[in-house]
Amino acid sequence: MREKVAIGLSIAAGLLLTYTLYSMFLVLPDEAMQGAIYRILFFHAPAAIVGMIGYFVALTLSVLYLSSGNFKYDSLAASVIEVSLVFSVVNIVTGSIWARIIWGIWWTWDYRLTSALVCVLIFAGYLMMRKAIEEPTQRARLSSALCIFGCVDVVIVWKSIEWFRNNHPGPVLSIRTGGGTMDPAMEHIFYWNFLALLLIAAALVLVRTRQEATAREIDSLRRLANAI
Amino acid sequence: MDARNFTFMFYGFLAAWLIVLIYVISLARRGARLKKELDNVKQLLKEPSLTEPRP
Amino acid sequence: MRPIRQVFAVARKDLAIELRTKESLNAAGAFAIAILLLFSFAFDPDSEQTHRMAGGLLWLVFTFAGALVFNRGFARELPNECLDALLSSPLSAPSLLIGKALANFVMLIAVEIVSLIVFGIFYNVQWLNRPWELAALCVLATWGIAILGAVFGALTVNLRLRELMLPVIIYPLLIPLLIAAIELTNTLLSNQPLTPDQLLWGRVLVVFDIVFTSLAFALAETILVN
Repeated sequence: MREKVAIGLSIAAGLLLTYTLYSMFLVLPDEAMQGAIYRILFFHAPAAIVGMIGYFVALTLSVLYLSSGNFKYDSLAASVIEVSLVFSVVNIVTGSIWARIIWGIWWTWDYRLTSALVCVLIFAGYLMMRKAIEEPTQRARLSSALCIFGCVDVVIVWKSIEWFRNNHPGPVLSIRTGGGTMDPAMEHIFYWNFLALLLIAAALVLVRTRQEATAREIDSLRRLANAI
Repeated sequence: MDARNFTFMFYGFLAAWLIVLIYVISLARRGARLKKELDNVKQLLKEPSLTEPRP
Repeated sequence: MRPIRQVFAVARKDLAIELRTKESLNAAGAFAIAILLLFSFAFDPDSEQTHRMAGGLLWLVFTFAGALVFNRGFARELPNECLDALLSSPLSAPSLLIGKALANFVMLIAVEIVSLIVFGIFYNVQWLNRPWELAALCVLATWGIAILGAVFGALTVNLRLRELMLPVIIYPLLIPLLIAAIELTNTLLSNQPLTPDQLLWGRVLVVFDIVFTSLAFALAETILVN
């Protein structure tokens, strides 16, 4: 059932991406000041948003694990964080490539880039810690605690670094600016692309969660074999 | 428009999809490894020496 | 025993052990001085630019030296199953965690005082211009470092690569606190008045301390139960 849902989500994402890529390259014009490279935005920003949503979903799942003790919440949290980390890396790399042309440098210590890097480091630490703990209950418990600390810190990191540094482009989506900063046709494709990436993320999380369940099954069968 | 603009746009798209592809491949490999390990452990449990009562 | 007395009992025990062996204090102190020495080669100690960066240099030194202190915090309880004994005792988990954090805090403050003296001498920086503000800043920022150090010291105590994992996990989490401490220290060391924008960083420190101390309280049982 889970495989069918993952396949369904992937097909839906594929169809959406076909539509958005077609629109991006064959319908939308180049942007007035950036030229062709502005199209990176359609992956850069949605990847960042998908990553951030993932971290806060993982926060909820970690709290649910600690209150219920049900391992499925822990598996889901780990899977969501892993997939969110991939999208955060996509965000940083595509941002660097864009910056190389527009700003002339691969990296700048502006607040959004720095915060994104800090998030990647925090949750890479989470995955490293999970690998280092073999006992499943201890792993779930400690990962949940780290996820809660990490997610709370993400909020503080974002606001702190925003006050500290700011030369990243400001918000352009009409939901944040009230309109006039981005062509509505471009914004339309932006939202569809965001949905496509979200569907891909959801499919990957389903696959990963299934693998976590298999790993737990292997662990319990090994213990049974040892006991016998 | 600057030709580098198109090249770097291509690199950007390539980077984004390559990262996702590498992750999907690593997931697929992990899945295959887990399946093999599960089959091995199930086989181990089916072995008669494990399940027969001792004399 | 009331919780506050439990906290002081744990802190007193750790500090007594530390005063007898001086393992962490010597290691952290020596490490701090070594880093300050190395910085003198990376940056010209007499230049105006280095004086402007003094806050950054100091807080990096304190954070790196702090990792040596936190690593020992719970690790010293591992031999002879002392950690199990502590967890089985009537001590509450939050008291144990906060007590450890308090001990970390005192040790870090000692390292900071030594570092400030050495830094003042090596780099010709006047750090006694505004001692009370600097002291308040050090107390707030060091408590934030100490509480996170205690929490993650407990989280990583049984891990294989504890000495590596602890710094890797804790440093990104400390970034907001370090930014705030560095901004305020730079202003105080250059004897400039604190603007309302900079006092914002003071609030960041207070919020950081309150939020993470509360989280540590709430999750102490989760972190410490075996």
